[in-house]
Amino acid sequence: MGTVQLFPEFISETLGLSGVLGDVVGSLVAAAVVGNIVLAFTGVAGPWAKRKITAAFTDRIAVNRIGPFGLLIIPAAAVQLLAKELIVPEGVDRPTWDLAPIVLPASALLGFSVIPMGRLGPVNLQIADPEVGLALVFAFASIASVSLVMAGYASNNKYSMLGGLRAVAQNLAYEIPLIVTAMSVVIFAGTLQMSGIVAAQTDVLFSVGGFDVPTWYAFVNPFAFVLFLTANMAEIGRNPFDIPEAPTEIVAGYQTEYSSAYFVLFYLGEFVHVFLGGAILAVTFLGGASGPGPESIGFLWFVVKIWGFFLFTQWARSALPRVRIDQLIEIGWKGMLVLSFANLVLTAVIVGVIA
Amino acid sequence: MIGLMKSMATTMKHALDGSTFTVEYPEDAPDVSPRFRGVHKFSQERCIWCRQCENVCPNDTIQIVQDDQRNGEQYNLHIGQCIYCRLCEEVCPVDAILLTQNFEFTADSKDEFVYNKEQLKNVPWYKGIDPLESRNPDRGAWIGEGDGEVDYQ
Amino acid sequence: MSLEAPDTTETDEVPERTPDELEALLGDLVIDRDDHLNAPGFVIRPDAVQETLSRLKSEAGYDHLSLVTAQEYENRYESIYHLKKFDDPTQEVSVVVPADKDDPVSESGDAVFRTADWHEREAYDLIGIEYDDHPDLRRILLPETWQGHPLSMDYDKDRPQIATLPEHANPLEDHHHDSESDTMFLNIGPHHPATHGVLHLKTILDGEQVIDVEPDIGYLHRCEEQMAQSGTYRHQIMPYPDRWDYISAGLLNEWAYARAAEDLADIEVPEYAQVIRTMGAEMCRIAAHMLALATFALDVNGDFTATFMYAINDRERVQDLLEDLTGQRLMFNYFRLGGVVWDLPEPRGEFFSKTRDFLDQLPGSVEEYHDLVTANEIFQMRTIDTGILPPEVAKNYGATGPVARGSGVDYDLRRDDPYGYYDELEWDVVTEDGCDNYSRLLVRMREVEESAKIIEQCIDLLEDWPEEERNIQANVPRTLRPDDDTEIYRAVEAAKGELGIYMRADGTDKPARFKIRSPCFSNLQTLPEMANGEYIPDVIAALGSLDIVLGEVDR
Repeated sequence: MGTVQLFPEFISETLGLSGVLGDVVGSLVAAAVVGNIVLAFTGVAGPWAKRKITAAFTDRIAVNRIGPFGLLIIPAAAVQLLAKELIVPEGVDRPTWDLAPIVLPASALLGFSVIPMGRLGPVNLQIADPEVGLALVFAFASIASVSLVMAGYASNNKYSMLGGLRAVAQNLAYEIPLIVTAMSVVIFAGTLQMSGIVAAQTDVLFSVGGFDVPTWYAFVNPFAFVLFLTANMAEIGRNPFDIPEAPTEIVAGYQTEYSSAYFVLFYLGEFVHVFLGGAILAVTFLGGASGPGPESIGFLWFVVKIWGFFLFTQWARSALPRVRIDQLIEIGWKGMLVLSFANLVLTAVIVGVIA
Repeated sequence: MIGLMKSMATTMKHALDGSTFTVEYPEDAPDVSPRFRGVHKFSQERCIWCRQCENVCPNDTIQIVQDDQRNGEQYNLHIGQCIYCRLCEEVCPVDAILLTQNFEFTADSKDEFVYNKEQLKNVPWYKGIDPLESRNPDRGAWIGEGDGEVDYQ
Repeated sequence: MSLEAPDTTETDEVPERTPDELEALLGDLVIDRDDHLNAPGFVIRPDAVQETLSRLKSEAGYDHLSLVTAQEYENRYESIYHLKKFDDPTQEVSVVVPADKDDPVSESGDAVFRTADWHEREAYDLIGIEYDDHPDLRRILLPETWQGHPLSMDYDKDRPQIATLPEHANPLEDHHHDSESDTMFLNIGPHHPATHGVLHLKTILDGEQVIDVEPDIGYLHRCEEQMAQSGTYRHQIMPYPDRWDYISAGLLNEWAYARAAEDLADIEVPEYAQVIRTMGAEMCRIAAHMLALATFALDVNGDFTATFMYAINDRERVQDLLEDLTGQRLMFNYFRLGGVVWDLPEPRGEFFSKTRDFLDQLPGSVEEYHDLVTANEIFQMRTIDTGILPPEVAKNYGATGPVARGSGVDYDLRRDDPYGYYDELEWDVVTEDGCDNYSRLLVRMREVEESAKIIEQCIDLLEDWPEEERNIQANVPRTLRPDDDTEIYRAVEAAKGELGIYMRADGTDKPARFKIRSPCFSNLQTLPEMANGEYIPDVIAALGSLDIVLGEVDR
């Protein structure tokens, strides 16, 4: 899909810039736009959508006082959270303690640099499309666990420490199945490039009553999809795998000691991470930005997909109990790992035989 | 897995049926039962200053001041300290003190919850309901005849 | 002593010993008799407590140390051990241990009954009796730095309780920097999302595993016993039981006081009032169990679980009924000595149909909870075989209620020591043999269904009750003055277990000693047995499955 112009190139061309200047300006503007889109998602998700969704599951009304559907709670919550005092506990390990809340959202935002978010009119919302895109996005995403360890360790709090350690153990146990499952997609698509993976999912798998079911890998290999979904939930630390912050056990885990702006950054980082998880899922298994209608509204389909994933995380949160740390590790190493390798081998055999 | 599916299905069912259990208070204030015990209402016209309510009160919430002719001067009740047991209403032989259904009261400090007889008189009925009607039938059951002398302390 | 499934015929076969036989069994250990209204009482020497208790336990079958209390007289201190049988709680015996006024020391019963541990600590804390051989005689409700024993006669309540800075020094500092061991000390609570109130668990962790946990209670001590001692029997005590276990179990608590006081003052309760009481009490039980389910789901599922709201929703429905009946949602103050304060609300038909509506939708709700919680594989993974409490241990600690029944101990005072209208109705005692967190939850959920059965039968009875016989209250004197030096211990089955009241009358209109045997207090004591060796989340789950209310633990 190298024929489609990337977002930074589009910008530099529109502005009539070329060479290094064009690259720099184009990339910066593109990054700012994509970053703000993602942050806007989290802004809506955190103070508003999350509450509304949880309320729907629990027969409540939730935020509805300020503005239409209570939407003005978003600026109100922002002001409220940022206006709070930033408490720096005694004995925290600075600057690690200060860096941790920056690393978390940064790592997740970085991941979006290679995500093909689809077309919106003439614009192709993808900042970069390196050949190792998929590997890169996993690399970026896993920086998050470093941030959690930093926070847990630097907070000088036992609950934070436990949360940080849990985060490491969890990420180790689930990163490998996650990537191994993603590899089965790579075998199908034959490329690590994000746009290539999306492009490989545009064929028609079969038709039902005039409706074409595309070759999204979720349909081609549902087993891998479920595996990936589960590992993804664990990777981003959502229920039933939210044990690094399990409030009823270890208060708030690694973020126990954070307040005000730092807390907002953590909060933000987690949501960006959920959306990144959704984006990876959409790209690898749900055909990226593809969907009915013209290609120029692909971005909307992409948004629907990642919000669908967000909704799913909230649904699971209302319905499912949290697993215990030892059970989590056991599921990761003894269950998921084995299954993901089995899936990989099977896929390889099938693809090898058919091809 | 079936259990997990069941859990997910149950919550989704609740989400989709769209009904909510919570209400938008205060626009949608709940109906309270006629027997509900809220802030007291006091009627000086009825009170005979027998001080039974003061005596029966389990935690000394009611304070009555009388002059040397045993005429009532003050009737103070700390509605923030009160445990709303309704014993004062029960012992009152003339229905001079009643617990309204009014549960909505606020103040900036605890001291403001010390109501004098004027404030107690002005406590509004909750939604305009006088609960006396629903409580009256049981009034006789409370005292009982018992053995020995009637003991007014 | 059997732990098998419920079998009422078996319980009747426990041989009851006459007081004289017991006296013969104890032989020269007995120095006097001091019978209570409910049980024969034997006065023994302060150094023969263990011997007496173990003889009564092993030879006469009194395996349930229900209550340990203490009090001070003009000339002596006294500890009282109330023993019962798990198989037949109507067989009771009291062991009275006088202690010297100047040097109150008496032997600890801890070696025979583990439950004596905390009870004796409380007696030491509040009264001032020292227990020999006690494993850990410290204050339990009051702070370590407290001066004096508040329920003793010479207690100076005007003395300022000033704790100096050195006394406040962090007692854990040494543990903190122990370079030798690789364990970690962790304070869970008193302000922690999952301690159900202000409970402090001192835990020692090895990684994520708990190797020792010690509950530290007393943060919510409100002198409930002393408050009862300064109220009159007739009116002023009744509002307070609602506030012991304030989780909507109010009527059950009120019944504990009502039962003890009615037996003490020899008051007959009209049958009609008993039916109303039974119905109201079971509504409270449903409300309490719904909250137990809700908070347990919160502990295991996490803090956004829908189960919590659904269970609260059902609880609200019961509370609406209770509000119609009693006038309040939590602090009912509905019972009176000799009956209840109000007949059913008019129009009666409306109340009946509302109640029936609730009962009709309850099975659906319970079904939903099974789908949401108990059928969920992750939930089963989390709760089955965690927080194990073997029946023998449960008995030894005096655990009662759903905690004991979840360990297969078939003990329910509603059936075994009938009061109210329970023995006239058709219902079953629920037991589960799993001994784990899951069984305890299951017991509660099944008990909700049993309670619904009871309410249904009560409604049927009340509906057909002839109008002229609707007597809600007996003739009770306005001032009650039970005879001097009569003592009584009576218990009812509250939502959390056996809630007992010990009272000693001194001829005035207020009790001279009022002791609350709180089920949560005894149940909480079993937590270390369940938790040691488990992971932190299991400790939280075990705590949740105990369903404690700190208001009742600390009183």
